[in-house]
Amino acid sequence: MKKLIFSPLAISFFCISSFGQMQGAGALENAVAKLDGARTAKEYETLEKEFVRIAASEPKDWLPNYYAAYCNARIGFLYQDDGEEIEPYSERGEKQAQKAQSLLDTLQQKKELAEVYTVLSLVYRTRVFINPMTYGRKFGTLSQQYRARAQELDPGNPRAIYVRAWELYNIPKMWGGDKDQAKVLANQSLHLLENAGTGIQPHWGKAEDEELLRKYK
Amino acid sequence: METNSIKYCIATFLSLALFQWAGAQQRISGTVRDKNGEVIPSAAVVLSPGGEATRTDSAGHFSLQTMAKGKASLLFTSIGYKPLRKEILLTEPALQLDIILSTNIQSLHAVTISAGSFEASDKAKGASLTAIDAFTVAGNNADLAMALRSLPGAQQIGELEGLFVRGGTGDETKQFMDGTLIKNPNYPSVPGVQQYARLNPILFKGILFSSGGYSATYGQAMSSALILESADLPEKSSAYFSVFSANQSAGMQKLARNGRSSYGVTVRYSNQALYNSIVPQGPDYFRGPEYREGDANFRIKRGKTGMLKFYTNWNSSDVGMRNPDIDSPSLRSSYRVRGMNSYNNLSYRDRLGQDWKLETGLAYDHNRVHTEEKNNQRQIFSDLVQGRVVLTRQFSNNQALRFGAEHFYSRDHGRSNDSAIALTDHLTAGFAEADLYLSEQLAARAGVRAEYSSVPGRGTVAPRLSLAWRMKDGGQFNLAYGIFYQEPSDDVLYQARDLRFSGATHYILNYIKKANNRLFRIEAYDKEYKDLVKIATLIGNGGKGYARGMEVFFRDKRSVRNLDYWVTYTYLDTRRDYWNYPYALRPSFATPHTATVAIKKNFQELNTFVNISYAFATGRPYYDIRYSAPDKGYKIYDQGTTKNYSVLNLQVAHLVSILRKSKQRPVAGFSAGVNNILGAHPLFGYNYSADGGIKMPVTLPATRYYYIGFFMSFGIDRTTDLLNNDAN
Repeated sequence: MKKLIFSPLAISFFCISSFGQMQGAGALENAVAKLDGARTAKEYETLEKEFVRIAASEPKDWLPNYYAAYCNARIGFLYQDDGEEIEPYSERGEKQAQKAQSLLDTLQQKKELAEVYTVLSLVYRTRVFINPMTYGRKFGTLSQQYRARAQELDPGNPRAIYVRAWELYNIPKMWGGDKDQAKVLANQSLHLLENAGTGIQPHWGKAEDEELLRKYK
Repeated sequence: METNSIKYCIATFLSLALFQWAGAQQRISGTVRDKNGEVIPSAAVVLSPGGEATRTDSAGHFSLQTMAKGKASLLFTSIGYKPLRKEILLTEPALQLDIILSTNIQSLHAVTISAGSFEASDKAKGASLTAIDAFTVAGNNADLAMALRSLPGAQQIGELEGLFVRGGTGDETKQFMDGTLIKNPNYPSVPGVQQYARLNPILFKGILFSSGGYSATYGQAMSSALILESADLPEKSSAYFSVFSANQSAGMQKLARNGRSSYGVTVRYSNQALYNSIVPQGPDYFRGPEYREGDANFRIKRGKTGMLKFYTNWNSSDVGMRNPDIDSPSLRSSYRVRGMNSYNNLSYRDRLGQDWKLETGLAYDHNRVHTEEKNNQRQIFSDLVQGRVVLTRQFSNNQALRFGAEHFYSRDHGRSNDSAIALTDHLTAGFAEADLYLSEQLAARAGVRAEYSSVPGRGTVAPRLSLAWRMKDGGQFNLAYGIFYQEPSDDVLYQARDLRFSGATHYILNYIKKANNRLFRIEAYDKEYKDLVKIATLIGNGGKGYARGMEVFFRDKRSVRNLDYWVTYTYLDTRRDYWNYPYALRPSFATPHTATVAIKKNFQELNTFVNISYAFATGRPYYDIRYSAPDKGYKIYDQGTTKNYSVLNLQVAHLVSILRKSKQRPVAGFSAGVNNILGAHPLFGYNYSADGGIKMPVTLPATRYYYIGFFMSFGIDRTTDLLNNDAN
């Protein structure tokens, strides 16, 4: 009897709480879905704000910060040829990625950490674009090191493989660049991304790989 | 019971509320923070209607009182943040608000003061200059001042080192390192032959080349200040060497294991004798030219923000040459100059608490020059000690108040032929300057500098003002005004003491726009000289003059991949009545039109860099001015204008792969170049014999200058360690 009286209450309670969660996850899912279609700096900027908002309401979740950092990295890549613009985005991206990293259990969540390092690698790459002559040596090295750490943690991460492909494509031959190897890796990354989901877990990379392969031709 | 208590509560509440409505003041207080939870001090808070206003304190806290009731709104503004309007209802006794302002990314491109100056720093973004850009201009002979001649404002003076800026002599440009004067930046002058710089440009991470209107924290340069900031701790330990046709150098930098201190040593040696035996020179050298230089430094990080730096440079030179004697061309006259110099600079900077910054510097310069020429023997020893302290109080929104003082003690002695030379001078300066950000678009820097010198026994007060107005599209207008005083040069003071400071008043209008890795800058100026040194029967301050002109700079790093170029145009209209000029003349170091091009192309696939610089200048005036006894004054006996100047310099550097297997691969390469590759025969002016009967052209010692060499550097990369430390 007691059980009977209690269960509707429990159910309704459960519903409410899961509804609350749905809102958070729903907002994130919604934003990530929009992110999959984003192309312009303006779109990324709008989305970055949305992720920052979600991060504020979900302070324990690493994903909103991770995506905000990714947005800032994308903006930096889009402004590649306009060094004057990039710095504020790089700085924000770095802070957000570090925040995401701090929310992870670095011993248990190795795959998640690999994702964060991959984005951090991109963020540092955008610093190089500000002025390759002066920022290149420090931040180019940092970018490569974070990518390498990401690959150490999760060798099969298609996004880290993409970043490696980008490096091989863009770094001069003398310093280890190799455009053919870049193509191989971009294809490998693309292959791994074939069954990438559409949920809130990181699944970007297809568009980036395709862009790199287009350049190769 | 319960109902009663609720009733009671309501009654109390209503009466309280009524009491409030009956005319008491409403208090609104709160805290303003940014998204990261950091407080924002000095944010403006304005209530409307009513207009009551306040600012947040250093803890981001604000408090307002108002008589207004009902609906109202508060507007929060702070530079760098988006304005926020908060609707409030003035009904409660006290309103407590927590305000979060979001950063305004647009306004992070803050307005910056930049009239009159080119900044080349390691923080340069886009198409702004970096120190490396500046000192890799082809044909600079490792002299920063020479490299900066590719920027607008400077004249192409092929027979002399130094910067001749906007109608000013080379002596009107001064170089400063970490705040202290580099009194003798180049080896002692040799007539007609440019001399090397003593300081290696690679030392500097920041270069501010001001062609006018510079800050009140610097003085004693009427035309231009070259403000150099030395590098802090190196990123890693490294070593390098280079072997070139006429000079060799080697150096190392060691970063301590804890990354908090470093030291370094470099040596440079140059002897041109072998080169000159292969490539014939105009002058017949019997000594060198030979240059020896060594420097050492240490840098120590103290606490979180302190940095102690020491730099010492020791060098010497010996140049002896014979030229046809101007008065009897069948004979040859000799000229020999030996120089020795030591420049030492100890500087310390730190933050004092949250808001204060301290910068101090102590410099000692010792210089010896021994000149022997026909009928002339001169030996001069000079010492200069400079102490300098600058304190900065920082306020929110980058606003700052800077003030400080410096003292120069100089002592020269020596002999010129048979007469003794002795000069002791104390120069004291005090200065104050405020950086004001009046709005997101408008910034101002206002300063004043007072100086007193013991030799003339006179003081000056010089105001300085700069304004910057940034437009919505990112373009920026700059205005600068200032008075710049300079003591007459030592050579003048050896002969006469009762002199005033010479002065120049600058008015500068500038427009600059940076976008898409391109930079466009146009600047117009007017400069009025007064109290220039003039020799009539006596040496006095009777001279004056003006310089006005317009300069354009355009740099483009975007249009062609891996190609970086800039073009400049300089227009200069100047006349001055100074020294022995009988009346106001266009000085012999000034030409109306100058254009320069600097090109840097990186052939990435070939690991090859090509550097080209080109300069064109219209002819310069030349004069034969001599004392005429019948006229009791100086007179022009001959004058004219040289032909146009046009010089192209080329440099090619090629990197090679060596020691591929080693973990720390060295960077190695070849570099080769030719100055004046097209073999133009520039004419800089004429030397006249004592009676004016003979004139000999002043031109380059050799038409072309060639160099080729090999360089290699080894670095130990320590960033991996750092990365591991902060990840764990």
